[in-house]
Amino acid sequence: MPLTGAALWSVEMAGCLRSAIFLVLHGELLRIPILKGRNRTIQNHGAILSEGLLNQRSKGNSPDQAPKKVLVIGGGIAGLTAAWELARLDLDVKLIEKSSFLGGHAIQFCCKAADECQKCGACLVEKRLLEVIEEPRIKVYLKSEIEKMNRNSRFSYTLSQRSLYIDSQRCTNCGLCFEKCPADGAVIRGYSKNNVPLYAIDETHCPHFKDGSCRLCEDLCPEKAINLDPEPDRVSGEADAIVVASGFQTFDPVNRPRYGYGINKNLITALDLERMLREKGEVLRPSDDKVPEKIAFIQCVGSRDHKLQHGFCSQVCCGYAMRMAEAIHYRHPGAEVTIFYMDIQNCGKNFSKFYERCKDHIRFVRFMPGDIFQGEQDQLILCYGDEKDGHSVREPFDLVVLSVGIMPGPSNASLADMLKLDLDEHGFFAFADPLDSTSTSQQGVFLAGTAQGPKDIADTMAQAGQAAQRVAHYLGVMPCPK
Amino acid sequence: MPEVRNVSSQTALMEEIHMDTTVLVVGGGWHGMKVAYELACIGYQVVLIENGTSIGGKAPSDHLVSTSEQELSVLLKKVKDHEAIEVLASTRLVALSGVPGDFRVRLEQDGQALEKAAGAVVVALEAERVPMLEAYRLNPGENALSQSQLERMLDSPEEKDRFCGEDSKDVLFLVGLQQEGNPLVMERALRSAIELQDTGGCQATILVGNVKLAHDGLETLYKQSRERGVLYFKLRESPLITQNGLNFQIKFFDGVLHSDVELTPDVLVVEEAIRPHPQAPDLARVLRIDTDPEGFFQPDNVHYLPVRSNREGIYVIGSARQSSNLRHGWSDVQNAVLAVRQLLGEGKSLVPREKAKIHRGKCTICLTCFRVCPHGAIYWDNRAVISPVACQGCGICASECPMDAIQLVDYRDDQIEAQIFELGNINSNTPQIIAFCCQNSAYEAGQMARLFGSSLPEGLQMIKVPCAGKVDVDYILKAFQAGADGVLVLACHKDNCKSQQGNTFAEWRVEDATRMLAEVGLETERLRFITLASNMPVEFVRITREIEDKLREMGPSPMKKQALAKTAS
Ligand SMILES: Cc1cc2nc3c(=O)[nH]c(=O)nc-3n(C[C@H](O)[C@H](O)[C@H](O)COP(=O)(O)OP(=O)(O)OC[C@H]3O[C@@H](n4cnc5c(N)ncnc54)[C@H](O)[C@@H]3O)c2cc1C
Ligand code: SF4
Ligand code: SF4
Ligand code: SF4
Ligand code: SF4
Repeated sequence: MPLTGAALWSVEMAGCLRSAIFLVLHGELLRIPILKGRNRTIQNHGAILSEGLLNQRSKGNSPDQAPKKVLVIGGGIAGLTAAWELARLDLDVKLIEKSSFLGGHAIQFCCKAADECQKCGACLVEKRLLEVIEEPRIKVYLKSEIEKMNRNSRFSYTLSQRSLYIDSQRCTNCGLCFEKCPADGAVIRGYSKNNVPLYAIDETHCPHFKDGSCRLCEDLCPEKAINLDPEPDRVSGEADAIVVASGFQTFDPVNRPRYGYGINKNLITALDLERMLREKGEVLRPSDDKVPEKIAFIQCVGSRDHKLQHGFCSQVCCGYAMRMAEAIHYRHPGAEVTIFYMDIQNCGKNFSKFYERCKDHIRFVRFMPGDIFQGEQDQLILCYGDEKDGHSVREPFDLVVLSVGIMPGPSNASLADMLKLDLDEHGFFAFADPLDSTSTSQQGVFLAGTAQGPKDIADTMAQAGQAAQRVAHYLGVMPCPK
Repeated sequence: MPEVRNVSSQTALMEEIHMDTTVLVVGGGWHGMKVAYELACIGYQVVLIENGTSIGGKAPSDHLVSTSEQELSVLLKKVKDHEAIEVLASTRLVALSGVPGDFRVRLEQDGQALEKAAGAVVVALEAERVPMLEAYRLNPGENALSQSQLERMLDSPEEKDRFCGEDSKDVLFLVGLQQEGNPLVMERALRSAIELQDTGGCQATILVGNVKLAHDGLETLYKQSRERGVLYFKLRESPLITQNGLNFQIKFFDGVLHSDVELTPDVLVVEEAIRPHPQAPDLARVLRIDTDPEGFFQPDNVHYLPVRSNREGIYVIGSARQSSNLRHGWSDVQNAVLAVRQLLGEGKSLVPREKAKIHRGKCTICLTCFRVCPHGAIYWDNRAVISPVACQGCGICASECPMDAIQLVDYRDDQIEAQIFELGNINSNTPQIIAFCCQNSAYEAGQMARLFGSSLPEGLQMIKVPCAGKVDVDYILKAFQAGADGVLVLACHKDNCKSQQGNTFAEWRVEDATRMLAEVGLETERLRFITLASNMPVEFVRITREIEDKLREMGPSPMKKQALAKTAS
């Protein structure tokens, strides 16, 4: 389709090889991305329009065929990375996310830099999310889950999509609904500016969905963007391949009752701490909003616990605890951090230097405190055995952080059932080929990220890239015909 | 509300260029063979070079492989038989020139020079396993073994029988006490200990710093080993070891028993370190790519993950970049294949005609740009030329060039300066702050702060730059001239700059500018260099408000007063 009446506006380069062309068409600005490796010559602007750009789906898909379709389940860093890499191979990608926002756990994390970057990888998620929302070949379905899945030669599926209530075309992100909503947690905001739409309505907290008693936000919204009435939707479609990237859930410390999580406010999980550092930029004791002087991390909470049938190491909690402890030390040099651990696991490159540096600021105690007692002034008391003489020590802390582990996702069983996949002994998706952790027992279905097992952001992204390459291979999308 | 504006982009024409679809793979170990084969299968030509006399010689540093010898020989045959793979043994890479999609490589095979063309390079030099007997002050002997020696023995049925059969033996493993250790080293010790324990005749004991289990399945293996009777002592530091002929005495303090322990094992098995290939430094120099502080390829910077190097078109995989097991290695192979196909495609690529241009008349061939470009994007063709494929548009070269001969197409100096003067306001009474924000970090953080409705200083003006390394001393001075009471240069955290040293250059320039401004009587607090990440909107607000408070305290900048006086008279 040639675009007539269009004028080339500008070519923006994002500091790398990816670029986009802006066109003005009848006064409207259009953004058309140019993808690398496009086999077209540009002589003049007309040529760009007629063959170079609008006919985007050439590479990897023969020109007359519709592009191959891939369904990516889960919009965490695994799903985002797989979707983005697949889109860059000119495949048609549908990204299904259960919650109201893309980014999964990792979009909630803080930057843990001290005087230098600690390589936690949180900022990579920010960047990848931005890339995904700017990529037109990825269609995102928020608040959606797979309801039905059939397989003939292709996969045919039905999604159930809960309503978003807020019309993203109209919403101007003014934040009025978020600010003025009288119910706690009924209007929620995304974690990042790259969460589009930025605001969402959580039915479980909004009184309208209980008893119809409130419609304040509908009336307030200056753009009339909110409509609380629509029913859930159903979408059906077909796919040629599937990437399962449904992620994990953190261990719920209520399952370790001796810690008394939920009783003392100053006992928090590491995920709470990540969010606090991100939202407030500092560590504050929940009980009095003061900077805690003594902070303890307890490692392996829920992981490496054979009694709970969790016979696996979560692989990330040593790394995040040390990095957060370093970040805390940097922001609050007066705070004293102790890490209670069994074994310290490595993270990232050059780990031994990092560990040595940590030892300068952090006290490491090899002991797993069994109980946590209530102390004075909302303090918490940890009991541990002294390494030198074995005497038991009772030490008060202002804030105790539980380094909760990575547990199999809540929908693993139902997804496995629907897709006829196997779960491993712990409940993660099992891989079929011992060398290839993206492989499954079903042709055309691939794994990415913590759905397959605990791993950090870096490994998750690598595995998602690998899954994308496996999908392309499976679909026969060859870059270079022999 | 403060205004944010982007320097409007100038139209750059795209052109189609030819990309050579041959890929050079350096290193004929497991990773090298795997990546060569995968690339050949999707249609690329591969030149696989190996310094040793034959490929497949070096097993990867993973115990898993010894169980798949056969698989290794199958792979070897597949690689040798594939028509699209040219295997060159006893071959060394001597030089590389050109640009991604069109590299020229000079090779040396048995003293003979060879020239090849390649579109991309994959570095797969396997890491080395270095015995650590010396580190533990042990002399090698029939009962002081390295982990590899033990594995070789256990692999041969006769030797295993002889070792385990004679009489019962106490075998002591030393792991992670003279180095931090890692899951790979741990896994090998675990597997061997279980195997020894299973023979019935041996008692395996492991002295270890931290039990490294952060790979899939290792906790299960660890549990298994304890169930089979393997004993563990976790130490904080290396034990006292005395070797007297064939007798050992090991003394240490145990934190569980809270007492000193003395062991007299019959056999000691010592861990091995995983170190970069001895040729890694040379290869890094030839390819002009960076290594991390341990000498593995790839800088310790998250932006290069998983397999990128600091140069476009050169990828690093497997144990060349970090010690990894085969599963991670396979993941790297797939990621490198993906990266190669994204770059070379079908052999043609549409790229901007130029991203940065060098003014020939101004250039005095001083080589500064060639030296400073962190991405190796500038090459020499009687004069400096910037490759639009390799250039990442950071602008470091442009700001470092002493002759101001380089301009980025998207961020020309005149555009940025025009923006500075447009945004500067000498008449305002609220403190005016001009913040130069790196687009990868501070700019994103600032946008996020604004979107979240945080209250930013009224007089804050953000100017987006492609990298803090683009911020010139000139910009800073002009910002003050334009009426800024304070100037912020906001960069990525150290080690998080996409162009590696952009933030360092920016910091130096801020130091220079501070010195200059101090000479004309400007308070040094008015200019600050601060690092941020894209996910730090809260800190962005705090930093900008802090400087606003400070500036309010200090009053208008003397340069602004001067400028005002000038306009008045
Ligand atoms: C407290 C804590 C701190 C951490 N800190 C770090 C760190 O500093 N550095 C680091 O590298 N790693 C860290 N990690 C690990 C990191 O969180 C993971 O590596 C990463 O988030 C994994 O991403 P994922 O996409 O696999 O899973 P997730 O982030 O869990 O994303 C999965 C997504 O899929 C969605 N989903 C689930 N089921 C379905 C379904 N049935 N249908 C549709 N969508 C579904 C979920 O809503 C979610 O959005 C930390 C982990 C924890 C617990
Ligand atoms: S500490 Fe983490 S979020 Fe911060 S810059 Fe480094 S990798 Fe990014
Ligand atoms: S009030 Fe309306 S426009 Fe404002 S954020 Fe809410 S939905 Fe969007
Ligand atoms: S990473 Fe550390 S804290 Fe987490 S389960 Fe493993 S050993 Fe425990
Ligand atoms: S802009 Fe950056 S990447 Fe490009 S040539 Fe200059 S220094 Fe190199």
